[in-house]
Amino acid sequence: MEALLATLVSGLVLGSLYALMSSGLSVVWTTLGVFNFSHGALMMVGAFVAWTVSEVLGLGPVVGILSGTLAAGLVGIVIERLLVRPFYSNRNMLLITAMTTLAAMVILERGAQMIWGARLKQLPHLVPGEVRILGTTISAHEALLIVLAPLILVALWRFTVTTNRGRSLRAVGQNQDSAALLGIDVPVAFALAFGISAALAGLTGALLGSIRFVTPTMGSEPLTKAMIVVIFGGLGNLGATAGAAYLIGFIEAFLILGLGLYWTPFVLFLLMILVLLFRPNGVFGGK
Amino acid sequence: MANKPQLLAIVALFAALAVVPLFVTDSYIRHLFIIAFVYAVIASNWNLSLGHCGVFNFGHLTFFGIGVYTAAIASKTFGINPWIAMLLGGGTAAMSALLLAAPVARLKGIYVVLVTFAFTQLVLQLVLSQSQITGGAEGMVRLPFLELGSYSFLKDFKFGYYYVGLVLLAFSCLFLAFVSNSSFGKSLKAVRDAEDYAAARGISVARQRILALTLSAIFTGIAGGFYAIYLRVASPEVFGFGTLSLALSMVLIGGVNTVFGPVLAALVLTFATEAMAGLQGFEDARFIVIAVAMILVLRLAPEGLVDLLGRLRLPASKART
Amino acid sequence: MRRLLDINGLEAGYGAARVLNGLSVHIDEGESIGLFGPNGHGKSTLLRTISGLLRPTAGSIAFEGNDITTQRPPAIVAAGLIHAPQGNTLFGNMRIAETLELAAFSKRARAEAARRIDEVYALFPRLAERKQQSARTLSGGERQMLSIGCALMCAPRLLMLDEPTLGLSPRLKEELAAAIAKISKTGVPLIVVEQDVEFLLSLTDRLYMVEHGEVVREISSANAPDHEEVMRLYFGAEEAH
Repeated sequence: MEALLATLVSGLVLGSLYALMSSGLSVVWTTLGVFNFSHGALMMVGAFVAWTVSEVLGLGPVVGILSGTLAAGLVGIVIERLLVRPFYSNRNMLLITAMTTLAAMVILERGAQMIWGARLKQLPHLVPGEVRILGTTISAHEALLIVLAPLILVALWRFTVTTNRGRSLRAVGQNQDSAALLGIDVPVAFALAFGISAALAGLTGALLGSIRFVTPTMGSEPLTKAMIVVIFGGLGNLGATAGAAYLIGFIEAFLILGLGLYWTPFVLFLLMILVLLFRPNGVFGGK
Repeated sequence: MANKPQLLAIVALFAALAVVPLFVTDSYIRHLFIIAFVYAVIASNWNLSLGHCGVFNFGHLTFFGIGVYTAAIASKTFGINPWIAMLLGGGTAAMSALLLAAPVARLKGIYVVLVTFAFTQLVLQLVLSQSQITGGAEGMVRLPFLELGSYSFLKDFKFGYYYVGLVLLAFSCLFLAFVSNSSFGKSLKAVRDAEDYAAARGISVARQRILALTLSAIFTGIAGGFYAIYLRVASPEVFGFGTLSLALSMVLIGGVNTVFGPVLAALVLTFATEAMAGLQGFEDARFIVIAVAMILVLRLAPEGLVDLLGRLRLPASKART
Repeated sequence: MRRLLDINGLEAGYGAARVLNGLSVHIDEGESIGLFGPNGHGKSTLLRTISGLLRPTAGSIAFEGNDITTQRPPAIVAAGLIHAPQGNTLFGNMRIAETLELAAFSKRARAEAARRIDEVYALFPRLAERKQQSARTLSGGERQMLSIGCALMCAPRLLMLDEPTLGLSPRLKEELAAAIAKISKTGVPLIVVEQDVEFLLSLTDRLYMVEHGEVVREISSANAPDHEEVMRLYFGAEEAH
């Protein structure tokens, strides 16, 4: 029973992490029709900037996390401007931007390696101490992640549903010309979507930086998990993506409990390929 | 596809490569050539699915990795002759491609990218989790080396391996030229450029994709086998983003419409990255340089540099379809 | 009389294919115009060029005396030049109310949004009934209403309607025609693209017949040709094509 509850809690932590990661991927996908392979690297940028501001400049973790979020958002906007926008009218836009964002990932990871070196770094916990949930003890920082993730997701969802700025992202994603005829600046909407998505990645990285080590390649594992999530959830819908994120988090936690650490990723990927075979639009994805 | 001057250039290139070891005795330079040959095989075969067939295949390096581990396990664990073990890599890679092609043939757009990419991760995780067979994260070392009668490939300053690599590349190129000139190869390009054409001619796109993926895996897998036997190491690094982006940049810079563009790009880029690796402080920067080059090529010459050069020289030529 | 919209020698197209070949039209203050002519001869392309979706290769467009030839769509919409495109090109997963609120996107439109949304619902009661439905559940006629409603939310100073009654049943067509006439009566000048010349004659002051990307004939509603001549004109053009 205790192991079961512990597994639930660890699934919740993983689910929160994946939800933050994959919702960013989903925003860019639904608005621009681009799959951003540099999303994991943007998360890493957030973590390194947070570490630098918090530890090197000594401004503390809160300022650090905010700076990391902002820095990743800015890098995201630059990536959109330089590596995505020039290819909008291209027939093979989807494939080309997959490749240019992959190149962006290489540039960011190697760049981070050159700037920050290979030595392992870690951010301090945002809140000290421990918390007991369902009879399981986790760090207060992880508990914060569990609380923060749904709040951020709901805020993001409210933004796209109740504000005109947020709605404009959905409109542009569905029909660029019609959106433009309502006075929506399409390139601005694209940059905004990329910026928000990257900032989310940066925030996730900065928060994860006190749970895991901050390294140049820290983003690739969460990125691949986020890819599994968007395949389960379909790429088109924020709610389905978030639901799938938590589902994958729980599945992963229970697989680790039942099969051990080694077999878990393999089974997850196998599940994903099966899902795609039978439900090409995702488990929760409609048409 | 290949017109006369092109054909002559290719024959000249291979003839030149064939005499290189007679003049270049430095085993490090020969090593670079061997690595370049391996990458040339990977890139040009990848181009068959990515360029000619238009499948957004991001899992091509998996075929290579499967070749690596097949040869490693066959030769070391089962004691199979390394020559045969290398060829077995082609077989298992082709089989895995067939397996991957089943879902990929039915999917569209970004989901093809995701599944092929996930396939790489799947195989990587399998390799990591089965450490009693594959050596896990440390990989396998001290694999058996090649012998020909009593001739050992170990003490000839890579003279023998150079020619094995070159012959492998030559066979791979002949194979690709044959495929791309066959009616199958021509229908690939026709369908890629006009999907309606497929429907009108009763061509099954799914079958085409399965065939293209499987064919592209054969020599890639053998190259993986050769790579493992040559380096005497099988390591999970071959599945990483680094190898992927390097090979991808070769395909793009070489040009997705040609057979030999990626071969040339592989030769040039292997030496370029190695040259940069020698410079102080460029160990990481060289990957950035290649990534930037890849982006510039996509922006300025989407058909690849080789194609661009060809067009500059023969402005009136309409050899390309 | 001042010119509201003045287009001179406009050339535009898609890639190498030129669709507009030096087209010139204008609207004086206080009037509405109609465009007709065979399909594929540049009427929709003209509207797309005016609203900035297409960049002209030659010629000029002036609105209320300001040159807007090279302006991008956001600036053109902000100036009040509004285009309801052909077909039901809406945002399928957005609710009606959301879509209308979104349509008041420019600063100027935002200020009038509350008043305008009531006007739109009054004009199209069906939309009011379906406020919370997503756009993809609407019928063809309702989508057309939503499209026009969106254009009204943009606070138009000149409204361009591209085949607003295309593919509708005669009854629905009448309903929409009445609504458009109402809009016109509130003092919003119109550019209407339609195949139904009589409908255009009843709604607008002048008609341009567009063929091969040029104006080939101008008709004033005041001394309009009779029904037969219109039919001959129109179908004659179709055959010539």
